[in-house]
Amino acid sequence: MPRRLKDSELDRLFAALANPTRRDILDALLDGERTVTELAADFDMSRPSVSEHLAALRESGLVTERPAGRHRIYAVTAGPLGDLADWLTPYERFWRERLSGLGAVLDRMDDDHAPDTKDDAR
Amino acid sequence: MTDQTTGWELPAEDEPTDPTAIRVDQYFPHPPAKVWRALTEPDLVTQWLMTTDFVPEVGHRFTMAGRRVEATGFSGTVASTVLAVEPGRTLAVTWTDAADPDLVPTTVTWTLEPEGHGTRLFLEHAGFDPDDPTAQLSRRIMGGGWRSMILRRLGELLDATD
Repeated sequence: MPRRLKDSELDRLFAALANPTRRDILDALLDGERTVTELAADFDMSRPSVSEHLAALRESGLVTERPAGRHRIYAVTAGPLGDLADWLTPYERFWRERLSGLGAVLDRMDDDHAPDTKDDAR
Repeated sequence: MTDQTTGWELPAEDEPTDPTAIRVDQYFPHPPAKVWRALTEPDLVTQWLMTTDFVPEVGHRFTMAGRRVEATGFSGTVASTVLAVEPGRTLAVTWTDAADPDLVPTTVTWTLEPEGHGTRLFLEHAGFDPDDPTAQLSRRIMGGGWRSMILRRLGELLDATD
């Protein structure tokens, strides 16, 4: 089950996501990692503005950067988004996990011992 | 639905996902009769869901004991009543936190459909309060279909990294 996020972590996540441009950037990064230049072109924004948004996303832990030659490449970090999803829809994660447990139980069960119930009992 | 191929042209606030229900389905390579047993026989239910004194009879009240979940304020014990039983096809039960009996109960409905040699199992957990502060916050911040998209893409991302 989801672990509890500290309020300060949540605050940072929400602050980062409250800005629609940052959500758009995050969305673009979910398609694959990108450089600032590519993002600036995608969004028709200046590179400094993109960098500013990326800094906020990085601070919230949603995005990481790594150098590649003369560029920096930005990518989404799954962890905090996963935490956020758990916080927003805890039951969805809960049921997906339960269903995978159900699959394991079914795989362990005997096929033979089907009681006299039929699939089409009525 | 939001057009997933043009990710950043999202509608403003007009397409929230249903905040009051969760729907999940999964295919199992096992016949419906077997899936039905796993859903209704207490010793099997205990293995994948929670310890329970479930009996598949409409009106039967039962509890399920699991782990406490702080993030959601869940006490760990679910109080339920059987709403509908159609062997091999449908099972519906209420789902309330036993520690919070005043809450409007949510309902969990299982639907089994034969598919090939197996079963597609549909789960709907419905009746969540749309005015719940978490749901409201979720809509406000993650509006415009963004949330469902992010959850789906996140699922893909997690699947790929596991």
